[in-house]
Amino acid sequence: MSREYINILLERYWNCETSVREEQELRDFFSRADLPEEFIQYLPLFSYIGEEQVVTMSDDFDERLQASVKAAGMKKKEKTRIIAPLLRIAASLLLIGGLGISLFFITRQQNKPYYTETINNTSDTNTAMQQATYALEKLSDALQMSEEASVETIRSLEELDIDWSTLDSLSNIATDDSVKVNSLRINKEDNI
Amino acid sequence: MSTDTFHSIILPLKEKLFRLAYGIVRDRAEAEDILQDLLLKLWSRKDEWAGIGNLEAYCFRAIKNMSLDRLASLAIRKTILPQREEQCYFVDNHSPHQELIRKEQRSMIDQCIGALPETQRLVFRLREVEEMSYRQIAVTLDISEELVKVSLFRARKRMKELLSRY
Repeated sequence: MSREYINILLERYWNCETSVREEQELRDFFSRADLPEEFIQYLPLFSYIGEEQVVTMSDDFDERLQASVKAAGMKKKEKTRIIAPLLRIAASLLLIGGLGISLFFITRQQNKPYYTETINNTSDTNTAMQQATYALEKLSDALQMSEEASVETIRSLEELDIDWSTLDSLSNIATDDSVKVNSLRINKEDNI
Repeated sequence: MSTDTFHSIILPLKEKLFRLAYGIVRDRAEAEDILQDLLLKLWSRKDEWAGIGNLEAYCFRAIKNMSLDRLASLAIRKTILPQREEQCYFVDNHSPHQELIRKEQRSMIDQCIGALPETQRLVFRLREVEEMSYRQIAVTLDISEELVKVSLFRARKRMKELLSRY
């Protein structure tokens, strides 16, 4: 490469008119060991660019990255492995528990005996029978007493020897009197 | 599909992404951390890649933003970045005096680039180090091609002035 060409390239470089390939040519030129004196002043810039281009990462970067990706994946998997089954178990327990409680109350209501109060929460049928017999005896006694009372009342009425026909005539008189009173009222209204 | 995308598009970019991060934070370990964070984030959100138009540009924008955030947090923590160890990429028979001069020059360039406005610095780096076209830089930094050219012109002009004075 001639000096003139390099000077032209440099001028275009400062004016941002060079292509990427031409800039590469300049860098190649400035990496030469026998750099002409007139271009030495620009060497630090192109050396700097050359050095920055070869800056590389540590050798173990890929390994560390893979380990991080794996660790991140494991965390994600652990989350799904731990949380999802727990949620499933919790949901199953809730469902089973709910069903159990509902069944318990339903069956309890259906099996509830209507004679609970009679037998006072005891399952002894003999006691229940005794109490039922006692209640029936009481009822029977009460009926008998009321029957006897009715018979006595009838008997005492017969003893009074009331003439029922007289009572009937009295009621007829009462109706006659009321008719008379009404006719009197009408007469008075006419006179007025 | 997503694994293929990761291996065919994202992983080949890792060196460039690392260099961009390194260009901003100027610390190799920090740059590696940032790149690892980015790649992990991308991997964990692989379902969203379909919605990203230009995945390559997205990666560059993401690494740029993450690096600038990291730089800001480092500045807040008042952490002094260790002085960059000079890497002898070009091993030759320089004398100690020449090596000293070279270090000074390198430091001068570093300072000059560090003093550039953010856009100029990023454009300069993407063009000179990553050899991107103006269009690629514009897409990556989400700016116009005109602004890319203007920024690069100003950065090179500043560099030329500095080298001419030396």
